Amino acid sequence: MITAQYPAGADVQTTPAAGRQVGWLLALVGLVVGAFVLDVALGPVRIPLPTVVRLLLGHAGPDDTAAAFIVNQIRLPKALTALVVGMGLAVSGLQMQTLFRNPLAGPSVLGLTAGAGLGVALVMLAGGSAAGGFAVRELGLSGSWALVLAATAGAALVMLLVLALSARVRDNAVMLIVGLMIASVTGAVVSLWQYFSAPEQIQEYLLWTFGALGGVTGTHLAVLSIVVLAGLVLAFASSKPLNALLLGENYARSLGLNVRASRTLIIASTSLLAGGITAFCGPIGFVGIAVPHLTRALLRTADHRVLLPGASLVGAALVLACDCLAQLPGSQTALPINVVTSLLGAPVVLWVVLRGRNIRSAHS
Amino acid sequence: MPQPSLSAGRAGGTFLLYTLRSGALLLALLWGGCLPGLGQKATRPAAAAAPRPAARLGAAPQAPRAATGRTSVQYAKGFTIAYAGNCKVVTILSPFEQKTTAARYLLVPRGTARPAGYGDCRVIETPIRSLVAMSSMHIALADFLGAADVLVGVGDLKYASAPRVRQRIAEGKIFETGLGKQLNNELLITRHPDLVMTTGWPGEGLNSFQTLSAAGVSVMINSEWVETTPLARAEWVKVLAVLLNKEDLVNKQFDKVAREYQRLITLAQKAARRPSVVVGLPFKDVWYVPDADSYMAQFLRDAGAAYHWDRTKSPSGSLALGFEAVAPVALAAEYWIHTGSLASRAGLLALDARYAAFAPVKTGRVFNNNRRTNTQGANDYWESGALRPDIVLADLIRILHPELLPRGVLHYYQPLK
Repeated sequence: MITAQYPAGADVQTTPAAGRQVGWLLALVGLVVGAFVLDVALGPVRIPLPTVVRLLLGHAGPDDTAAAFIVNQIRLPKALTALVVGMGLAVSGLQMQTLFRNPLAGPSVLGLTAGAGLGVALVMLAGGSAAGGFAVRELGLSGSWALVLAATAGAALVMLLVLALSARVRDNAVMLIVGLMIASVTGAVVSLWQYFSAPEQIQEYLLWTFGALGGVTGTHLAVLSIVVLAGLVLAFASSKPLNALLLGENYARSLGLNVRASRTLIIASTSLLAGGITAFCGPIGFVGIAVPHLTRALLRTADHRVLLPGASLVGAALVLACDCLAQLPGSQTALPINVVTSLLGAPVVLWVVLRGRNIRSAHS
Repeated sequence: MPQPSLSAGRAGGTFLLYTLRSGALLLALLWGGCLPGLGQKATRPAAAAAPRPAARLGAAPQAPRAATGRTSVQYAKGFTIAYAGNCKVVTILSPFEQKTTAARYLLVPRGTARPAGYGDCRVIETPIRSLVAMSSMHIALADFLGAADVLVGVGDLKYASAPRVRQRIAEGKIFETGLGKQLNNELLITRHPDLVMTTGWPGEGLNSFQTLSAAGVSVMINSEWVETTPLARAEWVKVLAVLLNKEDLVNKQFDKVAREYQRLITLAQKAARRPSVVVGLPFKDVWYVPDADSYMAQFLRDAGAAYHWDRTKSPSGSLALGFEAVAPVALAAEYWIHTGSLASRAGLLALDARYAAFAPVKTGRVFNNNRRTNTQGANDYWESGALRPDIVLADLIRILHPELLPRGVLHYYQPLK
């Protein structure tokens, strides 16, 4: 793990370039809208753009049954999910990078993703192999809510553990190690489960780990949006503490910041964002790590009052773009979203690591 | 439905298989390539070389009149049976390169000396007296031949439906071997059955049973899941029949099934129209549907259904499509079959409320193949159903063309209520 010390005393006040940043943010809003429309317009089934726009505006013709279903029931919920997921993961990644003062931190470092995975494994692997699991499935709990509840419970349990430990552990670096170890242990439990599971159950779990933006509709989408919105509100409320934390904990403390309370707020916000998103969509990699770096490079600021909205916009645009790419043009098959984000994300992280010197300048 | 995925056929559960396939293929090629060919002597159907077996075209291949105590292969492409003196040679072909030999077995009468030659064959003494079946379909093979009493072990005690086998399990006469990595080698070696029958790639698969082979336990790997027609898949029962010296019985029983299947095909051809059918259950964005070469597609053809992917081929036997790619078909389809382990409409909608828009859900024409699921979760469709394609086809015709089979009830299928 590479650790980069953030320069103490860096200027995090709003620069005179505020106007330029507002311009950037407006441009990003335009980008997100464009990516959203593109995502709804593209898919395995070719639907002309005018038809898509007409359907989005609610003017369905008599011959549009299939097209209306595809646009309104499949593509629109998926694009909305991509929007929410991108915003949530990017913001949670930014919070983690600042809190742990580590450029390679992301939403998964606290073990939340792994905790959600443990919950899902409990339903899919243990539930299927035990005789009782069959009864549970027959009761109708096999519906998608069971997965969501299990994943949320797993993420929440890990979050409670992390929060309890964070009250005892003062050092953020130690906290980072604790998170990684929790992730490692839960990952090992899941692996053990997989080892003793039937192939088709492992297949089901594997499909979940690929991540999916589809299948989140109706009530699910509403719940996901509320959870992410709550997480974003908490995150935006933490923008000032985050700015102070950039200068180091001692400095933040000397500024009169209640470090422990701020840290709890930040961890709670991240848990909501990462836990909720993983529960509904599976683990989606790299967005949380890559987007904060992209945003800093674009906006050239370390002020979280700008970075947080910036990162959420860049995240939304990136995930929407990835979803467009996932539906290979002319193909009947959609690639798993996790594959696409990782394929795009890994080069970004490489670029960040190789431009080690520029990390500092980007942060200052 | 937790069923051994390999027995679940090519239409489902081939994902992991697919990922392993290239490696297995290479191994099978390497192995097969080193073997001297004796396959020429084997009885192979003339139609096997054609891209489509005759069964596909709906015409019954002329069954060669088998001599007493002998059987021959008419539909299956994955194995051959040859007779040499008082011995038999069973050749399992590599699933994806059906010309390559993956494993050969020399069946010698118990107590007889091994004949010269056949150095590349594994020797099994016949008739086998004890059998371990790793897949639920292999349980059905034994039951079909009235040989359930030969079964001494199964992979998972839960996955058995045949009453005679369940009874033997209750009496403690059948032990559990475990599956995959949990295979209990020590128990198997101690019990020393005459044969362990399992499913997989003959080449790659056998390597993972080296411990057993070294201990002198015979292992035979069946790959019936690679067959592209239901009758070809069921014909693998002949492999067990020659091991049990039950050729005459299998000729009688299998011919009965095949004749009934052919009769039903002719019956289905009388249907005035071919209703459209959508198959399977999506998971999130992915909907695996059977491809043109799957036995499921053949079932649909034979039952007089219109299947949208009837001409789309895929190397893995199923197509991984986006939900959006299948949705237009599902919206307009007349029937929807094979909805996972679900038995109720409410359960289907709890999974994804959008299914309510599909025409079959609106009209109540959703059918699943899990009527004969027992309390332990074993679905007899994957067990006896694999050996009774005639009954499965009758079910499908009863669903799609009720006017053609006005009497009788569904056996494996049930409507989602």
